Amino acid sequence: MAFIQLKNICKKYPGAAKNSVTDFNLEIEEKEFIAFVGPSGCGKTTTLQMIAGFEEITEGELFIDGKRMNQVAPRDRGIAMVFQNYALYPHMTVEKNISYGLKNMKVPADEIKRKTDWAINLLGLDEYRKRKPKNLSGGQRQRVALGRAIVKNQKVFLMDEPLSNLDAKLRVSMRSEISKLHRQLGSTTIYVTHEQVEAMTMADRIVIMKDGVIQQVGKPMELYEHPVNKFVAGFIGSPQMNFYDVTVEGSCVLFPDGSKIILPDNVLKNLNGKTGPMILGIRGEDIKLDGLNLDLLKDSVQSSVVDNVEIMGNENNLYFNFGGSTTIARVSKYEVSQLGDSISFVFMPTKLHFFDKDTEEALF
Amino acid sequence: MKVEKRKVLQIVLVTVMILMSLFFLFPVAWMIANSFKGDAQITADMNSAAAFIPPAPGGDFFDNYVYIFTDTNFIRYMVNTLFYAAILIVLGVIVNGLAGYALAKIKFPFSDKWILIIMMLMIIPSETIITINFLFVAKMGLLNTVIGYILPMIVSPFNIFLFRQVFVGLPDDTYEAAQLDFCGPIKYFFTMVLPMSKAVVATVSVFTFLNVWNDYLWPSLIFTSSDLLTAQIGLNAITSNDNTTMGQTLAVITMITIPVIIVYSFFSKQIVEGVIATGSKEG
Repeated sequence: MAFIQLKNICKKYPGAAKNSVTDFNLEIEEKEFIAFVGPSGCGKTTTLQMIAGFEEITEGELFIDGKRMNQVAPRDRGIAMVFQNYALYPHMTVEKNISYGLKNMKVPADEIKRKTDWAINLLGLDEYRKRKPKNLSGGQRQRVALGRAIVKNQKVFLMDEPLSNLDAKLRVSMRSEISKLHRQLGSTTIYVTHEQVEAMTMADRIVIMKDGVIQQVGKPMELYEHPVNKFVAGFIGSPQMNFYDVTVEGSCVLFPDGSKIILPDNVLKNLNGKTGPMILGIRGEDIKLDGLNLDLLKDSVQSSVVDNVEIMGNENNLYFNFGGSTTIARVSKYEVSQLGDSISFVFMPTKLHFFDKDTEEALF
Repeated sequence: MKVEKRKVLQIVLVTVMILMSLFFLFPVAWMIANSFKGDAQITADMNSAAAFIPPAPGGDFFDNYVYIFTDTNFIRYMVNTLFYAAILIVLGVIVNGLAGYALAKIKFPFSDKWILIIMMLMIIPSETIITINFLFVAKMGLLNTVIGYILPMIVSPFNIFLFRQVFVGLPDDTYEAAQLDFCGPIKYFFTMVLPMSKAVVATVSVFTFLNVWNDYLWPSLIFTSSDLLTAQIGLNAITSNDNTTMGQTLAVITMITIPVIIVYSFFSKQIVEGVIATGSKEG
């Protein structure tokens, strides 16, 4: 049996026309790091709040470590939580913030001191232990919030967008600190974020949500390589996947602007004879401009004019019009193109994604 | 040019404020200076600047104060009032604070209507319900008791509103975090909410103190025993005595004024902070 089970969980707020979360089913194994990702309002935080016990579950069942938790108070669920705004106690020092829960648990004083010292040292907060939250930086506050969560030795960690208030540089370093901490402590972690990069870099599995419904659950690369629908394909990856309304006729893909590419046999086999209007998707890095690929796929070489270049340092993003919409190609920093340059490119046929025009579900 | 203009404006502003302060300090200075004099000297100095200058310290310098301390019960009345104020501050913060917290953070039927009712109660002057309060306390057999005096004074719609306005701004996730730290709602109120709202607690405490210290009508109705009287009633009793001199009267008034001045001097920051935080002023 999975360590955390969410069975047909629904959430409907009083007076709301529809559910905020609908039929949420998920099994989380012990020590797993799960990330809930999705745009604002997709229900990820609501789901986390239901797991924590701060929101009532309208329908469905929640099990943690085999026990039904629907009616159990948050404090008795064996969870610790890191909040988006840290939720530190402003009138208490770092040390008192971290040890407050242990005191309420009536842990012996020497044990409290030992555990607090351990957490403070682990998180590098020793020189700030007597400071109050207002005298700490964002990163330090975040570490205190983590300290408060880890010190109680709970089996489940819930993290609600814990890095969203930090600057980009600090976010990267805290990301690796949280991952390290997770490996060290071995606790089951549910991490809510709207940043797909955080989810991709930290999670064992990702749950992608939209409008309160799970779109796909899987390992980061599964989601990246095999998105089940257009939403997932567009949400995961930066820059986002390029989409085109195309028509497939035989082995030929026709674009609205008259361009066409030829599909190889293995892709046609995957399409299983499906033809007609559909959505084609391709990631920026699967659009190739190098001579070798242009030679190999000379029947499908396309051309366009670069109308914007984003220099990222390690790579470049080229913007150009193709197939009736703006296309972004992610190329190596050595493939230098300037604004106004004519370029030739090919789509890697094995990396093409096809989605149903109406349901937007992946066709293979 | 702009900086100079601002400087001139600041000088004018400070000068006006100093003049206004002097205007308000004028009777206080007169009162303190004359509280050390005998009636003859007060009359003699009345039409000169000497009225604002205390006499040179000598053998009879503290005579008026010695009389108040030794020949009247005024110290007792002051201690009584401080005691009532202390109890009312503690109970007022707890009761009004809990009510304010409920209105700010707990969802219950018609919770939004309740705050309107509380706000409407704020416009009713306390004098208009004093008869009802008196009858209520009398029916309970609590006339001439400390409980009878304190009971109707604990709940204050203004203080409830003040607390509610501040508590509304407290983040919900702090309560959620406290719940996961095994902190129950009552403990949360006392160990988190009140310490996080020190300014409003100070404001309510100061307002309660001043209310009790300056109150005359309610204690004069409720108390008949001289052991329980408050400072204001004591002041009236002493000053309406034909044998009390003008100097002694001014000494009593000085003594009754000093705590108020101390409270305002020490807590003016909290009073301003608290009132700003609520976006209101005492009704």
